[in-house]
Amino acid sequence: MRIGVFICHCGSNIAGTVDCAGVAAQAARFPDVAYSTDIMYACAEPGQDAIIEAIREHGLTGVVVASCTPRMHEPTFRRAVERAGLNRYMFEMANIREHVSWIGKDMDANTNKAAELVRMAVAKLRLNRELTPKSFPVTKRVLVIGGGVAGIQAALDAADAGLEVVLVEKEPSIGGKMAKLDKTFPTVDCSSCILGPRMVDVAQHPKITLYAAAEVESVSGYVGNFSVRIRKKATCVDWDKCTGCGLCTEKCPSRKSYDRFNEGVGPTTAIIIPFPQAIPKKASIEREFCRQFTRGKCGVCAKVCPTGAIDYDMQDSFVEVEVGGIVAATGYDLMDWTVYEEYGGGRYPDVITSLQYERLLSASGPTGGHVRRPSDGAEPRDVVFIQCVGSRDPSVGRPYCSGFCCMYTAKQAILTKDHIPDSQSYVFYMDIRSPGKGYDEFTRRVQEEYQAQYIRGRVSRIYPSRGKLVVCGADTLMGTQVEVAADLVVLAVGGEAAHGAPQLAEKLRISYDQYGFFMEGHPKLKPVETNTAGVFLAGSCQGLKDIPSSVAQGSAAAAKVIGLLSRDMLESDPQIAQVTVSRCIGCGKCIEVCPFKAIQEIDLRGQPRAEVIETVCQGCGVCNATCPQGAIQLSHFTDNQILAEVEALCRF
Amino acid sequence: MAIEQELQAAVKAALPELDCIIGWGPGPDALRDAPLFLRDAADADVLRAGFFSVNNPALFLPEYKGRKIGVLVKGCDARSVGQLLLEGLVRREDLFVIGFPCSGVIDAGKAAALIADRCEAGELRSVREQGDSIVLEGPDGAFSLAKKDVRADKCERCLFPNAMDADLFVGEKRAPFAELDEYADLAAFEQAPLEERMAFWEKEMSRCIRCYACRDACPLCVCRDQCVAVARDPHWLSQADGIRDKLFFQIIHASHLAGRCTGCGECERACPMGIPVLLLKRALSRRVETLFAYRAGIDMQGRPPLLTFSLEEPRIKERDW
Amino acid sequence: MAVMQGKELRIVGFLCNWCSYGGADTAGVGRFAQPTDLRIVRVPCSGRINPLFILKALTSGADGVLVSGCHPRDCHYAEGNYYARRRLEVMRGLLPVLGIDPGRFEYTWVSASEGQRWQHVVEEFTKQIHALGPIGRFPDAPELASLGLGAG
Repeated sequence: MRIGVFICHCGSNIAGTVDCAGVAAQAARFPDVAYSTDIMYACAEPGQDAIIEAIREHGLTGVVVASCTPRMHEPTFRRAVERAGLNRYMFEMANIREHVSWIGKDMDANTNKAAELVRMAVAKLRLNRELTPKSFPVTKRVLVIGGGVAGIQAALDAADAGLEVVLVEKEPSIGGKMAKLDKTFPTVDCSSCILGPRMVDVAQHPKITLYAAAEVESVSGYVGNFSVRIRKKATCVDWDKCTGCGLCTEKCPSRKSYDRFNEGVGPTTAIIIPFPQAIPKKASIEREFCRQFTRGKCGVCAKVCPTGAIDYDMQDSFVEVEVGGIVAATGYDLMDWTVYEEYGGGRYPDVITSLQYERLLSASGPTGGHVRRPSDGAEPRDVVFIQCVGSRDPSVGRPYCSGFCCMYTAKQAILTKDHIPDSQSYVFYMDIRSPGKGYDEFTRRVQEEYQAQYIRGRVSRIYPSRGKLVVCGADTLMGTQVEVAADLVVLAVGGEAAHGAPQLAEKLRISYDQYGFFMEGHPKLKPVETNTAGVFLAGSCQGLKDIPSSVAQGSAAAAKVIGLLSRDMLESDPQIAQVTVSRCIGCGKCIEVCPFKAIQEIDLRGQPRAEVIETVCQGCGVCNATCPQGAIQLSHFTDNQILAEVEALCRF
Repeated sequence: MAIEQELQAAVKAALPELDCIIGWGPGPDALRDAPLFLRDAADADVLRAGFFSVNNPALFLPEYKGRKIGVLVKGCDARSVGQLLLEGLVRREDLFVIGFPCSGVIDAGKAAALIADRCEAGELRSVREQGDSIVLEGPDGAFSLAKKDVRADKCERCLFPNAMDADLFVGEKRAPFAELDEYADLAAFEQAPLEERMAFWEKEMSRCIRCYACRDACPLCVCRDQCVAVARDPHWLSQADGIRDKLFFQIIHASHLAGRCTGCGECERACPMGIPVLLLKRALSRRVETLFAYRAGIDMQGRPPLLTFSLEEPRIKERDW
Repeated sequence: MAVMQGKELRIVGFLCNWCSYGGADTAGVGRFAQPTDLRIVRVPCSGRINPLFILKALTSGADGVLVSGCHPRDCHYAEGNYYARRRLEVMRGLLPVLGIDPGRFEYTWVSASEGQRWQHVVEEFTKQIHALGPIGRFPDAPELASLGLGAG
């Protein structure tokens, strides 16, 4: 074998703490190395060209690049060696940036370590084999999980491109958080007026199948061919018969139900259509409040329903769908702000969340758009907004900035003035974060045109006094203490990953961070991909974002799925397990441990043997570590290759 | 003796339904029986089963898979059969298991050492069991030895002298005479300083001649001709005559038996150099027992512990970094 | 190019590609300084790790071996780390009887986002191995021993 070694400087990223020329000189003496050099930027076009030229000039049959992590540029360099006529798997990387130059400053130690990593890569490469991918057909259907604005956008874009779309929403209606908003920043246009038509499009699109009040139960399969089991929750209303007339909701005697859509601002009935523009516009029964279930008798809705749609005995049911790609768009929930004792911990009715305030402002809300405070229904005059409640606060385990609160608080202050002209808004803030088109102008307008008083400082305490709430805080710009007697306090509560997000991540086999947000494939270059092929992210499930960003990411995720499923055949990764039949004794242990059921027993002249189903194998290698005689080997990570790496280190 | 005759009768009765019955017959010398493969009831009279029936007949079962086989088993042999069954390497419906109460087996090495001043094992004319003793007929007359002085170490530790899951059990089941901690010797070994333990293996393995008799005697080493010890791909071992590779083969053997080894001790018995290779396997058996409450060949519910997992592992204490 | 005498010990890491290798990358991106002893072997999944790799390393001169995979429930391949946990735990039982300090081997779970945790693990483990010092070596066959010295 003739191996070429290229030690990348990465500008000064590597060369700053690694003697790259020295490493190249050492590498020249490693077994089978025919050519070794250092190079300024291996990944840039001149760098790739130099590699290709060296392959041709020196007749190289394998290449090692020592540079950044293979998770970054392995595909890049594989394509480069392929352009030079080599099989793309005759290539190895040594990670001398993330694992060497960026984590230590000792030049000697780094140089030695880099050279050793190169020796390991060379040792492995000497045992690499040419691998060729196989192709398999794809299912041209996409699953979108979550019917908020990001999921709606992804579903519509994918459907418009001709893909069949299955949209799953856990609530009885799509619309997500955006449907709860009164207006949107910075244009102060009506939220439901812009979202509503999109929701209708979803309902009417011939390519979209909507499952509302449904959740993903399990996912199996792999990119191109996932099998998804969807749990349709029992709504106790046959939606095929329900016309959405709403008669049941008018007659329902159980009027103390928690109103999830209205964030608990005022009660609702036990049988509900969440809001007038709901899609689908179907009723569903909340069993925990329904008298038929709590008291065992009532049956009013069943009596009044003109189509006989009520079915108290309904059970959850399941549907199975086959899809080629999946978009997760599960959004966010508000963090539990009642951990803040200084804000009353939830004891004061007139301390409400920003989302509850949206419902008070909304013309379709429980107060018909008249701002009335919860305690006595009075119209508030002095309204205090407190920002960063559960954002940028390590003391409650929420060190991150939720990103959208500065802007919606400004919007709510403007709307307050619009609704109650003689009102006065006070905003306690830490910093005003308003990057975005027209955003900073907006936060200025609220102060200059709408006379909202912005106070830079945290609130230390809220206590009730003579029908008011006294808000005590600091003004850190003035260096004084501030007390505001407020009629209503609105907390800009930060977001967190939607409840149940980690459980879904496990079903999808994607990573999530400590807050439950899904991990993108790369923080910069793969913002909508995940590390699981065929699964993409849209909206706040990946990290909190505002409406335009969510919509953009919804479209981006759709574009990725469209790109994926535009092909009739996908190539399978050839880094999979392979059985040497002559060495297999048919003990079946590999079959037993395979997480993907990718190994089957075959009959070879009357003897059982193992066989890998190539398109099902995901290349984890559990079988390889199980087979005592090593008759099943994971290509590209064979026992001999890993042993060679160990030897290359420990022998010296 | 009575049990042996009863067993001979049982074998005769069972043989018409079976391709073969595996038991013991006369061996190379009076101290050792050898495996016997009975196909004809007329030969049943040479069948032996007792103190000198050391070999584990389970060794032969996997290659008979698919045929109806009868097998005579001591308690330890039965555990091997059990483990083979659990792993699907033999099928229960193909087996006719005949058990009998085992009062331990001879360690021929111990006996040879004790009689060394009288004669060699090969010079013994006959040997028979008599209660707690064995009576040996040497060139200069008869003499006896106490069984406990010549019994294999594994029998002193044995908690399961009676074959479990036998289709036919001949004789009275007996209680185990082991009451001591099964792993006391291991714990004692681990009291020595690390360097001494390492030096122990260095010294022991220096005698290894890489004959693989340990492997070939192991009833659970089912890879047989495909053993990694002699494979080039994967190439776990060099063929060089070094202690490191010799020891590493024992590590491989132990690792492949983790959660499977029943402690029958055939590896150690077969070793021509007398290297205590069972110790490594027992270290892993102890570990598996501690972590998963699993004893190979005994606990027949569920799956072998290393071929399965549970989401929560109550007995595994992970390090908290 | 042997181990840097007096400065470093030989530590081999086996890391799964999806979580821990990514976590080590994240630590690098965050410039979380770490001791330089560790060399990482990248494998697709902790379930790919045959415990014999660890014993091979420890009997071939590695002073310490560190394995890291995805957190339980978070395996890219759903189950690989569960198998790994059992196998590695069992294998650890062989170390004392061989005369190898069990502290020379550790395994842990580090996700791709946990750069700081990775830094902490590397620091702690390196400290632990330095406290134990160089490992005792089983003698190699003379011809192999000379091979190692010659090619270095």
